Amino acid sequence: MARRSLIAAVVATAVVTALVSVSVTRLTGQSARPARAADGKPNISGVWQVNNEANWDLQGHDARPGAVTQRGIYPYAYAEVAGAPVLALGAAAIVPGSIGVVQGDKQIPYTAAAAAKKTENAAHWVDRDPELKCYLPGIPRATYMPYPFQIVQSTNKIQMIYTFSNAARTIHLDNVAGPPDDAWMGHSVGRWDGDTLVVDVTHFNDKTWLDRAGNFHSDALHVVERFTPISPDALRYEVTIEDPKVFTHPWTIAMPIYRRLEPDVQLLDFPCIDFTEEFMYGHLRKQQLVKHWEGDTIAVDIRRKVPPGEQLFDWYGK
Amino acid sequence: MRKRLLQALGVIAVILAVIALLRVAPAGSATQSAGKTAWGDPDLQGIWTDEYQTPLQRPAKYANKEAFTDEERAELDRQRAGILRRDQRVEIGSERDVAGAYNAVFQSIKHTGKRTSLIVDPPDGRLPALTPEAKQRADTDRQFRLALLQATQTCKDGDAACAGGKYGPPSPRRAEVPPFYNTGRLNRSDGPEDRSMTERCMAAVLPDFGGYRRIVQAPGTVSIFYDVGQGQGWQRIITLEQVAHPPSSIHQRFGDSRGHWEGNTLVVDVTNFSPKSDFMGARENLHLVERWTRTDAKTLEYAVTIEDTTTWTKPWTVKQEMSRQDEQANRIYYEPRCHEGNYGLPALLSGTRSEEADFAAGKGPDPATKDSATDFGTEGGVDALTGGG
Repeated sequence: MARRSLIAAVVATAVVTALVSVSVTRLTGQSARPARAADGKPNISGVWQVNNEANWDLQGHDARPGAVTQRGIYPYAYAEVAGAPVLALGAAAIVPGSIGVVQGDKQIPYTAAAAAKKTENAAHWVDRDPELKCYLPGIPRATYMPYPFQIVQSTNKIQMIYTFSNAARTIHLDNVAGPPDDAWMGHSVGRWDGDTLVVDVTHFNDKTWLDRAGNFHSDALHVVERFTPISPDALRYEVTIEDPKVFTHPWTIAMPIYRRLEPDVQLLDFPCIDFTEEFMYGHLRKQQLVKHWEGDTIAVDIRRKVPPGEQLFDWYGK
Repeated sequence: MRKRLLQALGVIAVILAVIALLRVAPAGSATQSAGKTAWGDPDLQGIWTDEYQTPLQRPAKYANKEAFTDEERAELDRQRAGILRRDQRVEIGSERDVAGAYNAVFQSIKHTGKRTSLIVDPPDGRLPALTPEAKQRADTDRQFRLALLQATQTCKDGDAACAGGKYGPPSPRRAEVPPFYNTGRLNRSDGPEDRSMTERCMAAVLPDFGGYRRIVQAPGTVSIFYDVGQGQGWQRIITLEQVAHPPSSIHQRFGDSRGHWEGNTLVVDVTNFSPKSDFMGARENLHLVERWTRTDAKTLEYAVTIEDTTTWTKPWTVKQEMSRQDEQANRIYYEPRCHEGNYGLPALLSGTRSEEADFAAGKGPDPATKDSATDFGTEGGVDALTGGG
């Protein structure tokens, strides 16, 4: 009896193992994708993307009428209206709310001076966020920008390739010397801790931000990322952020990353260098395209056709 | 009976499961070099570069000569090492001198290669003829560039850079939009579009025969990071999955790459280029077929057949050999951050606005008489292989 149970258990286990490895392949619509890589590590190759609001603000926040807002008729922050740079975009420019991805007490432990700088950064988002200039996004921000990224997992190296700015980094699982200079994307050294890919990232410069809310770091930033499969098509991404010049103690963010399951998914060009030239250099043109540069300031002139009163009904009805 | 069935099923299932695991089990040492990856694909991984200088086209004086002898290579190296290149100073403060600010420190001079041309087909090592429409495009583009140069000292001096042009007052064509999306240096800085792709930090093109590549593979994917110098580079993804190219409405600066293995060779078909990409005058109609083969532990052979029926009268093929670079030292610093530090482009624009203001105030020369397009690089002697400085 006991022997029969044992056999049944073995059969069940083996059948399930065989079926799971088959079904993982079938469900995705892509060619064979075993759950494990050739070296027995979890197979995390593929195209991935987060599905959250972390790039807007790592911390929990209410929705707001635009990435840039201005005072409305009330003096309350919660009653601001969309600011000129995004006003013409209507509801397409609304910033979605979020419960936040900061773990523990949900707070980012800034020093007093750094907290003041963060607030100032937020107020000058349009002028300061390196994302707006198409600069390399840094780590961890590259991971949770709202675009797909691809993991190419080999044995000694893992290449992570990001849609935004065509940025990339090599994660060295083998021993290499560090780079000769600080880097926007840092220097990534990885190891497998069981089924978790742990990546230690150092050699950062102080120029990248953590989100669009002005959260920032210094060149003392030290990032430890943990990528852990929670299903064939999802990873848990946990990041410990340490920077004694800016934070009083290390803190952690966490979020899932989802596999893009479209059979024909691929990373496409995101040519933001030329797309941002007007933003960065428009005021230096001989003949300006944006007509209201005042020195080095863009005075945004919104031209949007709004019908006269008697035609409003038709306009709303369209 | 039931017990035997269960046992048989159990054995089969266990075998299946073991196969499923073994199929992906390590096939050998993860650091195996010239052979296969752990999952059985040919292993092209590592950092690679062509360590030798070989001209794209065979210089006329080496016609009918496919390869140099060792003695000829040594002699060429001696000659090439003997020229000053960009370190040659001319009249201090002149345009020609300032154009040499990027001196020889910024040049990588490589030893003479074995072959007299990178082009292996046509067999004469020369580019095939341009199609009539491509000649027309090149001429239209050239005429516009010459018109913008015509009031400069370069044309007054009859410099080679003004060949086909004339010296005269500033051309009314200076107010025109370029005939094609501009990728080279125009002698004008009305806006960023007048400057070259290099100055705009978008110099990289495919195919590319210089710089470094880092190849990382996974089952179904080959990724190549191209370090093309000047702090510029780009990340390429070659999918090996048998999926068709995207529709022709999708345009990519470096095209869309689909690969497959033919024996030990990675064969890649590249289409869907953008009208903004410019490889020697070929743009959205460019079609490449690349063949990447690891010929030994230290060598990666790259062959590419280049086709564009709107540009060349027939396809042509380039072949080069790349050598494996030291992986351990990670000595290749490859973060492409040209754009992040691009003070040059706004300075060019800002400087020109300032010159225009000075000219308007009667305090300086007409900016149209200045030359910010010509690369005077051969003051210090001509490199017998590259034809440049």
